Amino acid sequence: MTLLRPMLALLLAAMLAACSATNMGRMEVDEDGQTITKVYSSNSLLASRISVQDLKQKTVGDLLYIQATLENDWKFELDFQYKFKWFDKDGFEQAPEGQPWRQVVMAGRSQNSVQAVAPNPSAVRFEIWVRE
Amino acid sequence: MLRVLSMLLLGSALALSGCASKVDYGDAQARETVNTDFGSTDLQMIAAKMVDDMMVFPPIVQMTQNRRPVVFVDRIKNKTTEHVDTESITDTIQSKLINSGKFRFVDMSVVDRVRQQLDYQSDSGLVDPSTAAAMGRQIGAEMMMYGNFSSIVKRDGSTKDVYYKFTLKLLNIQTGIIEWTNEKEIRKTRSKSLFGL
Repeated sequence: MTLLRPMLALLLAAMLAACSATNMGRMEVDEDGQTITKVYSSNSLLASRISVQDLKQKTVGDLLYIQATLENDWKFELDFQYKFKWFDKDGFEQAPEGQPWRQVVMAGRSQNSVQAVAPNPSAVRFEIWVRE
Repeated sequence: MLRVLSMLLLGSALALSGCASKVDYGDAQARETVNTDFGSTDLQMIAAKMVDDMMVFPPIVQMTQNRRPVVFVDRIKNKTTEHVDTESITDTIQSKLINSGKFRFVDMSVVDRVRQQLDYQSDSGLVDPSTAAAMGRQIGAEMMMYGNFSSIVKRDGSTKDVYYKFTLKLLNIQTGIIEWTNEKEIRKTRSKSLFGL
């Protein structure tokens, strides 16, 4: 009996871990650039581990070019995905199905820059979404 | 003991029913790691990287500032050991480039059918000549897009390591100069753990 109970707990934990849903955090920047205006998070654990250290934007030709410096505040390696969402001046998302989740593996307490180019010239605002 | 065993069985059944096999729609952009073979995530990563890089390369920015160069897609040589539909990769890249408003493309795979249609419009006598598309008015491609896709696969016991390298080039047809090139590397490793979790 004493052996069975922890085994049952272990079994259940393993099953649940295999089926757990991914959570999502969101960091947003307005078109005036530089300043982080909002940080939304539905995953407080992930939000406590990833922070945005720096955000830069410039226009290449007429396309918005973004660089975000992400920092892993955790002391262990962190494996997560990010994607950019682009919006025009009216708030319509540009190419919503064309932006894949990109994988990043970051060593403990390290920084990593991620870059992206707007899919077309009408994109003036962007968001970075992060999930595990 | 019997009661404990039955409870264990019930608990397992409940936990397993949560993961029962079923068909569902998923996020087409989500990370796919079924095995180390070339997959949708690889395709999306390659296309995104290539397009992003091409769009910010200064000579390309300058070239597309006031005009939209015409490109034709040759082919991507598949040098990997897998069957990979490389046309699907170039289709994605082509779509992104057209939607960026920076490039235009001609499609060499439909030349015969276009010619048939032109012949029909000019020779059949059924089409109003004022609306018929004129012969010899197509725009010649200025650039050619082509590339290579290769892989290195290594195995040791239960560990498998796959390295992919996708190279894309943009060549000026008139001058023969490669105006832009870039590559995307992908590494995937599969290692079997003891409990399969």
